[in-house]
Amino acid sequence: MERDLFSQMDTDLNSISYLSLNYDHQPVLDHFDSAISSMVSSPSTAPPPPGHTNSLVIRELIGRLGTICNNNNNNKSLAAGGDHSTNTSCYSTPLSSPPKSSLHSLPSMNPNSMPFPPDQGFTERAARMSCFGSGPHMAVSGQLSRVSSSQSLMDAGMTGGAQLEGELTMQESGGGANNGRKRKAGVKGKGKEASLASSGTANSKMSEEDPSAKRCKPDCKLGGKKGGVEENNSNSSENNNDDRENKNENDSNNTDSKPAEPLKDYIHVRARRGQATDSHSLAERVTGKAVMLDEIINYVQSLQRQVEFLSMKLATVDAPEDCNMDNLLRKDMHQACDRSMQQEVYPSAFPYPNQPQAGPLNSLLTANSISNIGMQPASNLPFDGFGNTSAQIGGFWEDDLQSVVQMGFVQNQEGALSSQSFQGSGPSSSDMKIEL
Amino acid sequence: MENLLSNASPHSETLIEERGKRIKIAAEVGLARSSGGRLWARALRRRLHRQRKLPQQACIVKNSTPPLMKEVPLVADVAEEKDEVEDRVRALQRLVPGGEEMEVERLFEETADYIEALREQVGVMRALACLLDGIESTDGDKL
Repeated sequence: MERDLFSQMDTDLNSISYLSLNYDHQPVLDHFDSAISSMVSSPSTAPPPPGHTNSLVIRELIGRLGTICNNNNNNKSLAAGGDHSTNTSCYSTPLSSPPKSSLHSLPSMNPNSMPFPPDQGFTERAARMSCFGSGPHMAVSGQLSRVSSSQSLMDAGMTGGAQLEGELTMQESGGGANNGRKRKAGVKGKGKEASLASSGTANSKMSEEDPSAKRCKPDCKLGGKKGGVEENNSNSSENNNDDRENKNENDSNNTDSKPAEPLKDYIHVRARRGQATDSHSLAERVTGKAVMLDEIINYVQSLQRQVEFLSMKLATVDAPEDCNMDNLLRKDMHQACDRSMQQEVYPSAFPYPNQPQAGPLNSLLTANSISNIGMQPASNLPFDGFGNTSAQIGGFWEDDLQSVVQMGFVQNQEGALSSQSFQGSGPSSSDMKIEL
Repeated sequence: MENLLSNASPHSETLIEERGKRIKIAAEVGLARSSGGRLWARALRRRLHRQRKLPQQACIVKNSTPPLMKEVPLVADVAEEKDEVEDRVRALQRLVPGGEEMEVERLFEETADYIEALREQVGVMRALACLLDGIESTDGDKL
Protein backbone atom coordinates (compact mmCIF):
# COMPACT_ATOMS: atom_id res chain seq x y z
CA MET A 1 0.00 0.00 0.00
CA GLU A 2 2.76 2.35 0.73
CA ARG A 3 4.24 1.66 -2.59
CA ASP A 4 1.05 2.71 -4.23
CA LEU A 5 1.04 5.88 -2.28
CA PHE A 6 4.58 6.39 -3.30
CA SER A 7 3.79 6.03 -6.91
CA GLN A 8 0.95 8.41 -6.52
CA MET A 9 3.27 10.85 -4.94
CA ASP A 10 5.64 10.37 -7.76
CA THR A 11 3.05 11.18 -10.30
CA ASP A 12 2.01 14.18 -8.34
CA LEU A 13 5.54 15.31 -8.18
CA ASN A 14 5.85 14.82 -11.86
CA SER A 15 2.87 16.95 -12.45
CA ILE A 16 4.19 19.56 -10.13
CA SER A 17 7.50 19.69 -11.82
CA TYR A 18 5.97 19.96 -15.19
CA LEU A 19 3.62 22.56 -14.04
CA SER A 20 6.31 24.66 -12.67
CA LEU A 21 8.41 24.42 -15.71
CA ASN A 22 6.30 25.03 -18.62
CA TYR A 23 5.91 28.63 -19.39
CA ASP A 24 4.78 28.14 -22.88
CA HIS A 25 1.19 27.36 -22.36
CA GLN A 26 0.22 30.64 -20.97
CA PRO A 27 -3.09 31.12 -22.64
CA VAL A 28 -4.52 28.10 -20.99
CA LEU A 29 -4.26 29.61 -17.64
CA ASP A 30 -5.62 32.99 -18.35
CA HIS A 31 -8.81 32.27 -16.61
CA PHE A 32 -6.91 30.84 -13.77
CA ASP A 33 -4.90 33.94 -13.68
CA SER A 34 -7.94 35.98 -13.15
CA ALA A 35 -9.13 33.69 -10.46
CA ILE A 36 -5.86 33.81 -8.70
CA SER A 37 -5.47 37.50 -9.04
CA SER A 38 -8.89 38.03 -7.62
CA MET A 39 -7.99 35.79 -4.82
CA VAL A 40 -4.72 37.44 -4.29
CA SER A 41 -6.05 40.88 -4.40
CA SER A 42 -8.63 40.28 -1.81
CA PRO A 43 -6.81 38.80 1.06
CA SER A 44 -7.79 40.06 4.38
CA THR A 45 -4.26 40.85 5.25
CA ALA A 46 -2.22 43.15 3.18
CA PRO A 47 0.57 41.57 1.26
CA PRO A 48 3.22 41.50 3.83
CA PRO A 49 6.86 41.96 3.38
CA PRO A 50 8.89 38.88 3.65
CA GLY A 51 8.38 37.81 7.15
CA HIS A 52 6.28 35.78 9.38
CA THR A 53 3.07 37.30 8.21
CA ASN A 54 3.67 35.72 4.89
CA SER A 55 2.68 32.45 6.29
CA LEU A 56 -0.63 33.78 7.42
CA VAL A 57 -1.32 35.28 4.07
CA ILE A 58 -0.27 32.16 2.39
CA ARG A 59 -2.58 30.15 4.53
CA GLU A 60 -5.48 32.23 3.53
CA LEU A 61 -4.53 32.17 -0.04
CA ILE A 62 -4.14 28.49 -0.03
CA GLY A 63 -7.47 28.11 1.56
CA ARG A 64 -8.98 30.16 -1.15
CA LEU A 65 -7.03 28.28 -3.69
CA GLY A 66 -8.58 25.17 -2.46
CA THR A 67 -11.98 26.51 -3.11
CA ILE A 68 -10.94 27.78 -6.46
CA CYS A 69 -9.40 24.51 -7.26
CA ASN A 70 -12.51 22.70 -6.44
CA ASN A 71 -14.53 25.05 -8.51
CA ASN A 72 -12.24 24.97 -11.43
CA ASN A 73 -11.52 21.38 -11.33
CA ASN A 74 -10.60 20.76 -14.87
CA ASN A 75 -7.84 18.49 -14.08
CA LYS A 76 -9.51 15.46 -12.85
CA SER A 77 -7.51 13.51 -15.30
CA LEU A 78 -4.48 14.48 -13.43
CA ALA A 79 -5.63 13.03 -10.24
CA ALA A 80 -4.50 9.56 -9.81
CA GLY A 81 -6.97 9.22 -7.08
CA GLY A 82 -10.01 10.98 -5.98
CA ASP A 83 -8.25 12.77 -3.26
CA HIS A 84 -5.82 14.19 -5.68
CA SER A 85 -8.27 16.12 -7.69
CA THR A 86 -8.15 19.18 -5.59
CA ASN A 87 -4.48 19.06 -5.58
CA THR A 88 -4.02 18.81 -9.22
CA SER A 89 -6.44 21.53 -9.93
CA CYS A 90 -4.65 23.64 -7.46
CA TYR A 91 -1.56 23.06 -9.42
CA SER A 92 -3.18 24.58 -12.35
CA THR A 93 -4.36 27.65 -10.59
CA PRO A 94 -2.18 30.24 -12.00
CA LEU A 95 -0.20 32.71 -10.15
CA SER A 96 -0.86 36.22 -10.92
CA SER A 97 2.71 36.83 -11.80
CA PRO A 98 2.33 36.62 -15.48
CA PRO A 99 5.72 35.61 -16.65
CA LYS A 100 6.12 33.22 -13.92
CA SER A 101 2.93 31.35 -14.12
CA SER A 102 4.10 27.93 -13.63
CA LEU A 103 1.11 25.80 -13.90
CA HIS A 104 0.36 26.26 -17.49
CA SER A 105 0.31 22.98 -19.07
CA LEU A 106 -1.41 21.19 -16.33
CA PRO A 107 -4.85 20.85 -17.75
CA SER A 108 -3.67 19.11 -20.79
CA MET A 109 -1.17 16.94 -19.15
CA ASN A 110 -1.60 13.57 -17.81
CA PRO A 111 0.62 13.16 -14.84
CA ASN A 112 0.84 9.50 -15.27
CA SER A 113 2.55 9.94 -18.53
CA MET A 114 5.09 12.36 -17.27
CA PRO A 115 8.48 11.10 -16.62
CA PHE A 116 9.85 11.73 -13.26
CA PRO A 117 12.35 14.51 -13.35
CA PRO A 118 15.18 14.54 -10.96
CA ASP A 119 14.71 16.45 -7.83
CA GLN A 120 17.48 18.77 -8.57
CA GLY A 121 16.07 19.68 -11.91
CA PHE A 122 12.72 20.21 -10.41
CA THR A 123 14.20 22.34 -7.77
CA GLU A 124 16.03 24.62 -10.06
CA ARG A 125 13.13 24.90 -12.40
CA ALA A 126 10.80 25.67 -9.62
CA ALA A 127 13.24 28.19 -8.37
CA ARG A 128 13.28 29.72 -11.76
CA MET A 129 9.72 30.59 -11.19
CA SER A 130 11.17 33.19 -8.93
CA CYS A 131 8.49 32.56 -6.52
CA PHE A 132 8.98 35.38 -4.18
CA GLY A 133 9.56 38.42 -6.13
CA SER A 134 8.92 41.79 -4.78
CA GLY A 135 5.24 41.59 -5.29
CA PRO A 136 2.89 39.75 -3.09
CA HIS A 137 1.47 37.85 -5.94
CA MET A 138 4.86 36.57 -6.69
CA ALA A 139 5.16 35.30 -3.20
CA VAL A 140 1.81 33.78 -3.50
CA SER A 141 2.69 32.11 -6.70
CA GLY A 142 5.78 30.69 -5.26
CA GLN A 143 3.96 29.53 -2.27
CA LEU A 144 1.15 28.17 -4.26
CA SER A 145 3.32 26.05 -6.38
CA ARG A 146 4.91 24.59 -3.38
CA VAL A 147 1.77 24.38 -1.48
CA SER A 148 0.04 22.59 -4.24
CA SER A 149 2.67 19.98 -4.21
CA SER A 150 2.46 19.75 -0.51
CA GLN A 151 -1.25 19.68 -0.73
CA SER A 152 -1.14 16.77 -2.99
CA LEU A 153 1.16 15.13 -0.60
CA MET A 154 -1.04 15.77 2.29
CA ASP A 155 -4.20 14.83 0.59
CA ALA A 156 -2.73 11.66 -0.61
CA GLY A 157 -2.18 10.82 2.94
CA MET A 158 0.45 11.34 5.45
CA THR A 159 2.36 8.26 4.72
CA GLY A 160 2.49 8.97 1.08
CA GLY A 161 3.50 12.49 1.69
CA ALA A 162 6.13 11.42 4.05
CA GLN A 163 7.39 9.01 1.51
CA LEU A 164 7.66 11.69 -1.02
CA GLU A 165 9.34 13.82 1.50
CA GLY A 166 11.86 11.19 2.03
CA GLU A 167 12.16 10.76 -1.65
CA LEU A 168 13.68 14.16 -1.99
CA THR A 169 17.33 14.14 -1.56
CA MET A 170 18.99 16.03 1.14
CA GLN A 171 20.76 18.70 -0.70
CA GLU A 172 23.06 21.25 0.60
CA SER A 173 22.00 24.75 0.27
CA GLY A 174 22.24 28.05 1.93
CA GLY A 175 18.91 27.40 3.45
CA GLY A 176 19.93 24.00 4.48
CA ALA A 177 18.89 24.47 8.02
CA ASN A 178 15.38 25.27 7.10
CA ASN A 179 15.28 22.61 4.53
CA GLY A 180 16.38 20.01 6.91
CA ARG A 181 13.91 20.96 9.50
CA LYS A 182 11.11 21.07 7.11
CA ARG A 183 12.05 17.98 5.37
CA LYS A 184 11.85 15.67 8.21
CA ALA A 185 8.97 17.31 9.92
CA GLY A 186 6.86 15.35 7.63
CA VAL A 187 3.37 15.75 6.52
CA LYS A 188 1.31 15.09 9.47
CA GLY A 189 -1.83 15.86 7.71
CA LYS A 190 -1.82 19.29 9.10
CA GLY A 191 -3.24 20.67 6.00
CA LYS A 192 -2.40 23.51 3.86
CA GLU A 193 -1.88 25.96 6.61
CA ALA A 194 0.83 23.90 8.12
CA SER A 195 2.73 23.61 4.97
CA LEU A 196 2.24 27.23 4.26
CA ALA A 197 3.36 28.15 7.70
CA SER A 198 6.40 26.04 7.41
CA SER A 199 7.29 27.32 4.04
CA GLY A 200 6.53 30.82 5.16
CA THR A 201 8.74 30.49 8.15
CA ALA A 202 11.35 28.82 6.09
CA ASN A 203 11.25 31.70 3.76
CA SER A 204 11.30 34.22 6.48
CA LYS A 205 14.26 32.54 7.97
CA MET A 206 16.10 32.64 4.77
CA SER A 207 16.31 36.31 4.46
CA GLU A 208 18.93 36.34 1.83
CA GLU A 209 19.48 38.87 -0.81
CA ASP A 210 17.41 36.90 -3.20
CA PRO A 211 14.47 35.88 -1.14
CA SER A 212 12.54 34.66 -4.11
CA ALA A 213 15.08 32.19 -5.24
CA LYS A 214 15.80 31.17 -1.77
CA ARG A 215 12.23 30.64 -0.91
CA CYS A 216 11.55 28.64 -3.91
CA LYS A 217 14.52 26.49 -3.77
CA PRO A 218 14.25 24.98 -0.39
CA ASP A 219 10.57 24.59 -0.60
CA CYS A 220 10.62 23.15 -3.99
CA LYS A 221 13.47 21.02 -3.11
CA LEU A 222 11.53 19.51 -0.38
CA GLY A 223 8.66 19.02 -2.66
CA GLY A 224 6.72 21.29 -0.46
CA LYS A 225 6.42 18.72 2.13
CA LYS A 226 7.01 20.99 4.84
CA GLY A 227 3.83 20.09 6.42
CA GLY A 228 3.48 21.59 9.82
CA VAL A 229 7.13 21.69 10.40
CA GLU A 230 7.16 23.78 13.42
CA GLU A 231 4.28 22.23 15.11
CA ASN A 232 5.65 18.86 14.38
CA ASN A 233 9.03 19.78 15.59
CA SER A 234 7.77 20.92 18.85
CA ASN A 235 5.35 18.16 19.28
CA SER A 236 6.93 14.98 18.29
CA SER A 237 9.93 13.44 19.77
CA GLU A 238 10.73 12.09 16.41
CA ASN A 239 11.71 15.55 15.54
CA ASN A 240 14.73 15.11 17.63
CA ASN A 241 15.95 12.48 15.32
CA ASP A 242 15.12 14.45 12.30
CA ASP A 243 16.41 17.60 13.76
CA ARG A 244 19.56 15.86 14.62
CA GLU A 245 20.01 14.64 11.18
CA ASN A 246 18.99 17.94 9.79
CA LYS A 247 21.44 19.64 12.00
CA ASN A 248 24.01 17.24 10.86
CA GLU A 249 23.26 18.09 7.35
CA ASN A 250 22.92 21.72 8.09
CA ASP A 251 26.09 21.85 9.97
CA SER A 252 27.82 20.02 7.26
CA ASN A 253 26.25 22.17 4.70
CA ASN A 254 26.94 25.34 6.45
CA THR A 255 30.56 24.74 6.98
CA ASP A 256 32.46 26.84 4.69
CA SER A 257 33.67 24.87 1.73
CA LYS A 258 32.09 21.65 2.58
CA PRO A 259 34.32 18.87 3.57
CA ALA A 260 35.29 16.96 0.53
CA GLU A 261 33.74 13.70 -0.35
CA PRO A 262 32.11 12.55 2.80
CA LEU A 263 29.52 15.26 3.05
CA LYS A 264 29.14 16.06 -0.57
CA ASP A 265 27.09 13.02 -1.24
CA TYR A 266 23.42 13.39 -1.45
CA ILE A 267 21.88 10.85 0.72
CA HIS A 268 18.55 9.66 -0.34
CA VAL A 269 16.70 9.31 2.82
CA ARG A 270 13.34 7.74 2.89
CA ALA A 271 11.97 9.73 5.70
CA ARG A 272 8.78 8.60 7.17
CA ARG A 273 7.76 10.81 9.95
CA GLY A 274 6.05 8.94 12.66
CA GLN A 275 4.17 6.61 10.41
CA ALA A 276 6.80 4.10 9.69
CA THR A 277 4.91 0.95 9.77
CA ASP A 278 7.07 -0.56 7.12
CA SER A 279 10.25 -1.78 8.61
CA HIS A 280 11.95 -1.49 5.29
CA SER A 281 11.42 2.19 4.91
CA LEU A 282 12.27 2.82 8.49
CA ALA A 283 15.44 0.91 8.05
CA GLU A 284 16.29 3.03 5.09
CA ARG A 285 15.74 6.18 7.02
CA VAL A 286 17.78 5.11 9.96
CA THR A 287 20.49 3.72 7.78
CA GLY A 288 20.72 7.01 5.98
CA LYS A 289 21.35 8.80 9.21
CA ALA A 290 23.85 6.24 10.33
CA VAL A 291 25.67 6.46 7.04
CA MET A 292 25.87 10.17 7.27
CA LEU A 293 27.08 10.07 10.82
CA ASP A 294 29.66 7.57 9.72
CA GLU A 295 30.89 9.96 7.12
CA ILE A 296 31.16 12.73 9.62
CA ILE A 297 33.01 10.57 12.04
CA ASN A 298 35.40 9.40 9.37
CA TYR A 299 36.05 12.92 8.29
CA VAL A 300 36.78 14.13 11.77
CA GLN A 301 39.04 11.18 12.35
CA SER A 302 40.88 11.77 9.11
CA LEU A 303 41.40 15.39 9.99
CA GLN A 304 42.74 14.49 13.38
CA ARG A 305 45.04 11.94 11.80
CA GLN A 306 46.27 14.56 9.41
CA VAL A 307 47.07 16.82 12.28
CA GLU A 308 49.01 14.06 13.93
CA PHE A 309 50.84 13.21 10.78
CA LEU A 310 51.71 16.80 10.10
CA SER A 311 52.89 17.32 13.61
CA MET A 312 55.18 14.37 13.26
CA LYS A 313 56.37 15.68 9.96
CA LEU A 314 57.06 19.05 11.44
CA ALA A 315 58.97 17.34 14.15
CA THR A 316 61.22 15.73 11.61
CA VAL A 317 61.96 18.94 9.85
CA ASP A 318 65.45 19.90 10.63
CA ALA A 319 64.73 23.49 11.32
CA PRO A 320 67.14 25.85 12.96
CA GLU A 321 67.15 25.80 16.68
CA ASP A 322 65.62 29.17 17.17
CA CYS A 323 62.57 28.15 15.26
CA ASN A 324 59.94 28.08 17.91
CA MET A 325 57.41 25.99 16.19
CA ASP A 326 55.08 25.81 19.13
CA ASN A 327 54.59 29.49 19.10
CA LEU A 328 54.30 29.44 15.40
CA LEU A 329 51.45 27.06 15.50
CA ARG A 330 49.69 28.75 18.30
CA LYS A 331 49.91 32.15 16.79
CA ASP A 332 49.19 31.05 13.30
CA MET A 333 46.23 29.02 14.24
CA HIS A 334 44.80 31.91 16.09
CA GLN A 335 45.52 34.18 13.22
CA ALA A 336 44.27 31.85 10.62
CA CYS A 337 41.01 31.15 12.25
CA ASP A 338 40.38 34.72 13.11
CA ARG A 339 41.16 35.87 9.69
CA SER A 340 39.33 33.13 7.97
CA MET A 341 36.33 33.89 10.01
CA GLN A 342 36.49 37.54 9.29
CA GLN A 343 37.47 37.78 5.74
CA GLU A 344 36.82 34.83 3.64
CA VAL A 345 37.82 36.71 0.61
CA TYR A 346 41.39 36.57 1.54
CA PRO A 347 42.32 33.30 0.00
CA SER A 348 41.25 34.44 -3.36
CA ALA A 349 42.93 37.78 -2.97
CA PHE A 350 46.37 36.32 -2.83
CA PRO A 351 47.81 34.64 -5.81
CA TYR A 352 49.76 32.17 -3.86
CA PRO A 353 50.66 28.95 -5.49
CA ASN A 354 49.48 26.98 -2.55
CA GLN A 355 45.98 26.02 -1.90
CA PRO A 356 43.80 29.04 -1.37
CA GLN A 357 43.14 28.09 2.13
CA ALA A 358 46.77 28.30 2.98
CA GLY A 359 47.37 31.45 1.04
CA PRO A 360 46.96 34.00 3.76
CA LEU A 361 48.31 31.53 6.19
CA ASN A 362 51.40 31.29 4.12
CA SER A 363 51.91 34.99 4.28
CA LEU A 364 51.52 34.90 7.99
CA LEU A 365 53.78 31.96 8.29
CA THR A 366 56.34 33.52 6.10
CA ALA A 367 56.41 36.63 8.15
CA ASN A 368 56.55 34.69 11.35
CA SER A 369 59.08 32.22 10.23
CA ILE A 370 61.32 34.78 8.75
CA SER A 371 61.61 36.58 11.98
CA ASN A 372 61.81 33.51 14.04
CA ILE A 373 64.34 31.84 11.95
CA GLY A 374 66.38 34.94 11.81
CA MET A 375 66.89 34.94 8.12
CA GLN A 376 68.14 37.83 6.17
CA PRO A 377 65.69 38.02 3.40
CA ALA A 378 67.24 40.93 1.68
CA SER A 379 70.54 39.33 1.00
CA ASN A 380 69.76 35.74 0.51
CA LEU A 381 66.12 35.14 0.52
CA PRO A 382 65.89 31.46 1.22
CA PHE A 383 62.31 31.29 0.26
CA ASP A 384 62.71 31.59 -3.39
CA GLY A 385 59.29 30.29 -3.80
CA PHE A 386 58.03 32.99 -1.56
CA GLY A 387 60.16 35.76 -2.81
CA ASN A 388 57.40 37.19 -4.82
CA THR A 389 55.25 37.19 -1.79
CA SER A 390 57.45 39.44 0.24
CA ALA A 391 56.33 42.47 -1.66
CA GLN A 392 52.81 41.41 -1.19
CA ILE A 393 53.46 40.80 2.40
CA GLY A 394 54.65 44.33 2.80
CA GLY A 395 51.47 45.65 1.33
CA PHE A 396 49.60 43.01 3.16
CA TRP A 397 50.89 44.15 6.44
CA GLU A 398 50.32 47.75 5.73
CA ASP A 399 46.88 47.73 4.47
CA ASP A 400 44.86 44.99 5.90
CA LEU A 401 46.77 43.41 8.60
CA GLN A 402 46.75 46.17 11.12
CA SER A 403 43.67 44.87 12.76
CA VAL A 404 44.93 41.36 12.65
CA VAL A 405 48.21 42.49 13.97
CA GLN A 406 46.59 44.04 16.90
CA MET A 407 44.60 40.97 17.45
CA GLY A 408 47.12 38.28 17.06
CA PHE A 409 50.62 39.52 17.13
CA VAL A 410 50.23 42.25 19.61
CA GLN A 411 48.98 39.90 22.17
CA ASN A 412 52.02 37.82 21.72
CA GLN A 413 54.05 38.25 24.80
CA GLU A 414 57.30 38.32 22.96
CA GLY A 415 56.62 41.56 21.28
CA ALA A 416 54.23 43.50 19.27
CA LEU A 417 54.40 43.66 15.60
CA SER A 418 55.05 47.21 14.74
CA SER A 419 53.16 47.96 11.67
CA GLN A 420 55.02 51.15 11.27
CA SER A 421 58.01 49.19 10.22
CA PHE A 422 56.22 48.33 7.03
CA GLN A 423 55.32 51.76 6.04
CA GLY A 424 58.34 51.86 3.93
CA SER A 425 56.62 49.44 1.63
CA GLY A 426 58.61 47.04 -0.35
CA PRO A 427 60.54 44.30 1.18
CA SER A 428 63.51 45.37 3.06
CA SER A 429 65.39 43.42 5.59
CA SER A 430 64.33 45.66 8.38
CA ASP A 431 60.76 45.37 7.36
CA MET A 432 60.82 41.69 7.16
CA LYS A 433 62.24 41.35 10.56
CA ILE A 434 59.24 41.12 12.70
CA GLU A 435 59.84 41.28 16.34
CA LEU A 436 57.64 38.73 17.78
CA MET B 1 71.57 17.62 13.64
CA GLU B 2 73.57 18.27 16.73
CA ASN B 3 70.69 20.15 18.16
CA LEU B 4 68.47 17.21 17.87
CA LEU B 5 70.99 14.91 19.37
CA SER B 6 71.68 17.22 22.21
CA ASN B 7 68.04 17.21 23.09
CA ALA B 8 67.87 13.47 23.31
CA SER B 9 65.78 12.53 26.24
CA PRO B 10 65.78 9.42 28.30
CA HIS B 11 62.19 8.75 27.39
CA SER B 12 61.36 5.57 25.66
CA GLU B 13 60.00 7.51 22.75
CA THR B 14 62.30 8.82 20.20
CA LEU B 15 63.13 12.42 20.17
CA ILE B 16 61.20 12.99 17.03
CA GLU B 17 58.11 11.45 18.45
CA GLU B 18 58.37 13.62 21.46
CA ARG B 19 58.80 16.66 19.34
CA GLY B 20 55.87 15.58 17.29
CA LYS B 21 53.74 15.33 20.34
CA ARG B 22 54.82 18.70 21.54
CA ILE B 23 54.02 20.13 18.19
CA LYS B 24 50.69 18.49 18.21
CA ILE B 25 49.98 19.92 21.61
CA ALA B 26 50.92 23.31 20.29
CA ALA B 27 48.60 22.81 17.40
CA GLU B 28 45.84 21.90 19.76
CA VAL B 29 46.51 24.95 21.81
CA GLY B 30 46.28 27.03 18.72
CA LEU B 31 43.15 25.24 17.76
CA ALA B 32 41.60 25.78 21.13
CA ARG B 33 42.45 29.42 21.14
CA SER B 34 41.15 30.03 17.70
CA SER B 35 37.57 29.28 18.55
CA GLY B 36 37.17 30.54 22.04
CA GLY B 37 33.45 30.69 21.98
CA ARG B 38 32.90 27.07 21.21
CA LEU B 39 32.21 24.32 23.65
CA TRP B 40 34.66 21.98 22.08
CA ALA B 41 37.38 24.59 22.32
CA ARG B 42 36.74 25.08 25.98
CA ALA B 43 36.76 21.37 26.59
CA LEU B 44 39.98 21.10 24.67
CA ARG B 45 41.54 23.82 26.73
CA ARG B 46 40.45 22.12 29.92
CA ARG B 47 42.01 18.93 28.76
CA LEU B 48 45.23 20.66 27.82
CA HIS B 49 45.38 22.33 31.19
CA ARG B 50 44.93 19.01 32.83
CA GLN B 51 47.64 17.49 30.75
CA ARG B 52 50.23 20.13 31.34
CA LYS B 53 51.45 18.26 34.34
CA LEU B 54 51.15 14.92 32.70
CA PRO B 55 53.31 13.28 30.10
CA GLN B 56 52.54 14.61 26.72
CA GLN B 57 50.07 12.12 25.48
CA ALA B 58 47.53 14.13 23.68
CA CYS B 59 45.03 11.75 22.36
CA ILE B 60 41.76 13.07 21.22
CA VAL B 61 39.98 9.86 20.62
CA LYS B 62 40.87 8.13 23.79
CA ASN B 63 38.15 8.61 26.27
CA SER B 64 36.82 5.97 28.50
CA THR B 65 34.14 7.97 30.22
CA PRO B 66 30.71 6.84 29.20
CA PRO B 67 28.78 9.28 27.14
CA LEU B 68 26.54 11.51 29.13
CA MET B 69 24.33 12.48 26.32
CA LYS B 70 20.71 12.39 27.03
CA GLU B 71 18.83 9.54 25.58
CA VAL B 72 17.63 10.54 22.23
CA PRO B 73 14.02 9.60 21.86
CA LEU B 74 13.79 7.71 18.65
CA VAL B 75 10.92 6.12 16.96
CA ALA B 76 10.18 3.14 19.09
CA ASP B 77 10.29 0.63 16.34
CA VAL B 78 13.41 -1.13 15.38
CA ALA B 79 15.94 -1.16 18.12
CA GLU B 80 18.91 -2.26 16.12
CA GLU B 81 18.68 0.57 13.69
CA LYS B 82 18.26 3.08 16.43
CA ASP B 83 21.32 1.67 18.03
CA GLU B 84 23.24 2.24 14.87
CA VAL B 85 22.52 5.89 14.95
CA GLU B 86 23.13 6.14 18.65
CA ASP B 87 26.40 4.32 18.39
CA ARG B 88 27.60 6.73 15.82
CA VAL B 89 26.47 9.69 17.78
CA ARG B 90 28.42 8.41 20.74
CA ALA B 91 31.46 7.88 18.59
CA LEU B 92 31.17 11.43 17.42
CA GLN B 93 30.91 12.56 20.98
CA ARG B 94 34.15 10.87 21.72
CA LEU B 95 35.83 12.48 18.77
CA VAL B 96 34.80 16.01 19.44
CA PRO B 97 36.39 17.37 22.57
CA GLY B 98 33.81 17.93 25.20
CA GLY B 99 31.23 16.09 23.24
CA GLU B 100 30.07 13.97 26.07
CA GLU B 101 28.61 16.85 27.90
CA MET B 102 26.63 18.09 24.99
CA GLU B 103 23.24 17.19 23.91
CA VAL B 104 22.89 15.90 20.43
CA GLU B 105 21.87 19.05 18.71
CA ARG B 106 24.65 21.00 20.26
CA LEU B 107 27.01 18.21 19.41
CA PHE B 108 26.34 18.63 15.74
CA GLU B 109 26.90 22.33 15.85
CA GLU B 110 30.13 21.84 17.66
CA THR B 111 31.16 19.16 15.24
CA ALA B 112 30.72 21.50 12.33
CA ASP B 113 32.79 24.16 13.97
CA TYR B 114 35.37 21.67 15.04
CA ILE B 115 35.68 20.36 11.53
CA GLU B 116 36.28 23.84 10.25
CA ALA B 117 38.90 24.51 12.84
CA LEU B 118 40.62 21.23 12.10
CA ARG B 119 40.75 22.08 8.45
CA GLU B 120 42.34 25.39 9.25
CA GLN B 121 44.84 23.73 11.46
CA VAL B 122 45.75 21.22 8.82
CA GLY B 123 46.20 24.02 6.36
CA VAL B 124 48.44 25.93 8.67
CA MET B 125 50.55 22.93 9.45
CA ARG B 126 50.82 21.99 5.82
CA ALA B 127 51.91 25.45 4.92
CA LEU B 128 54.39 25.45 7.73
CA ALA B 129 55.75 22.12 6.62
CA CYS B 130 56.11 23.40 3.09
CA LEU B 131 57.82 26.47 4.32
CA LEU B 132 60.22 24.60 6.48
CA ASP B 133 60.89 22.16 3.72
CA GLY B 134 61.87 25.07 1.59
CA ILE B 135 64.13 26.39 4.26
CA GLU B 136 65.64 23.01 4.75
CA SER B 137 66.38 22.48 1.14
CA THR B 138 67.90 25.87 0.64
CA ASP B 139 69.95 25.57 3.75
CA GLY B 140 71.10 22.21 2.66
CA ASP B 141 72.22 23.67 -0.60
CA LYS B 142 74.20 26.35 1.04
CA LEU B 143 75.74 24.01 3.51
